[in-house]
Amino acid sequence: MTHHMPPPALAADLRRLTVLELSLPARLRYVALLLGASALTAIVSALLLTESGLPLRTSIALGVMTVIGLSWMAFAAWVLRHKRILLGRQRVVAGRMALVFCSVFVVGALLIGYETGNPSALSAAGLGTVMLLVALTIFIRAKRLFAQLSKRRGVLEQQLGRI
Amino acid sequence: MTTDQRDYRDDELLAIRCQMGEAAGFDDLIARWHGPLWTYVRRLVGEDDTAREVVQNVWVRVIRGIAGLRDGSKLRSWLFGIARRTLMDRLRERYAKPADPDIDINEIPADAWTNEPHEDLAALDYSLARLPIVEREVLTLFYLEELSLSEVADALKVPIGTIKSRLFRARQMLRQDMETRGSRT
Repeated sequence: MTHHMPPPALAADLRRLTVLELSLPARLRYVALLLGASALTAIVSALLLTESGLPLRTSIALGVMTVIGLSWMAFAAWVLRHKRILLGRQRVVAGRMALVFCSVFVVGALLIGYETGNPSALSAAGLGTVMLLVALTIFIRAKRLFAQLSKRRGVLEQQLGRI
Repeated sequence: MTTDQRDYRDDELLAIRCQMGEAAGFDDLIARWHGPLWTYVRRLVGEDDTAREVVQNVWVRVIRGIAGLRDGSKLRSWLFGIARRTLMDRLRERYAKPADPDIDINEIPADAWTNEPHEDLAALDYSLARLPIVEREVLTLFYLEELSLSEVADALKVPIGTIKSRLFRARQMLRQDMETRGSRT
C-alpha cells in the first residue's frame, strides 16, 4: 500500500502560517480598533443626543460619524471573532486592556463633565459606564474560561504522567 | 488506561493547550495530525499541488476554529470534519452525486464493522483511487485513518447508519473493481 507522505517543506510552511495567524500584535491592533471606535462612537453619540439647537447639517454629520463608529466596532468585533481569534490567555489580556481603557474613559468624561458642567461629557460617561460593564463581563468570562482550561489541563497532565 | 483512552486524552490535552493560546501546542498539534490529514486529503484529491493548498486551508480553519471546540477528546473527528468541509468547498462538483444507496444495514453481519486490516487492503491503493470520492472518503477514514464508525459519522456529519451503508457499498465497489482487474491479469 502506498502511503502518501507529506512534502517535507509543508510542515515548516504550516508552522510559519501558524505564527502569522497567531500574531499577537495583529490581534491587539483589532482590540485597540474596537476600543477606539467604541470611545469615538460614545463621544459623538453623546454630543448628538445632548446638544440642543444643533444645525441640521451638524446633526447629520454627527449621525454619520456615529454610524461610521458603529461600523468600525462591528468590523473589529467580526475580525476578532472569525479571523484573528483571541485564545485563552489573549482573551484575558484583551479583557484587561478593555477594563483599563473604559475606566480611564469614564473617569476622564466625568472629570470634564464636573469641571465644565457640559451635559455631553456626562452622557459620554454614561455610555462609557455601559462599555465598562461590557468589558468587565468579557474579562470575568475570559478569566473563568482560562481557569477551567488550566484545571482540566492539570488533571490530564496528571493522568498522562506529564507532571 | 488503554492505548485508545491515552490517545483521546493526549488529543484533549493538545486541544486545551491550543485553546489556552500556547504556541508550542500548535506545533505539537501539527506534528501529531499533519501526516494523517495530509494522507486523507491527498488520497481524495489525487495530486500534490491541490492537496497542499487544501491542507493549508484546513490548518487556517483549525487555528481559527479551535477556540470553539467544546470537547477536546473529539479532536480527531473535528479535524477530519474540517478537512472534509474544506475538500467539499474545493471539489463541490465531485461531491454532487446521487443519494446514498438504499441498503438495509440490518442485513449486514455485525462483524463487518471492524476496522482491523482488511484482506482487500493489499490491493486497496490502486482500486481506491478509482472509486468515486464519497466511497473513497469513507474507506480512507475508516480503514486508513482508523477512525471509529461514530467518529467517521461525526466528521462527515451524517448518521452512523449512512456511514454503514456507504462503507458497505464502497467495499462492494472495491471488491468488484479488484475482481475485474484480477480477471484481466
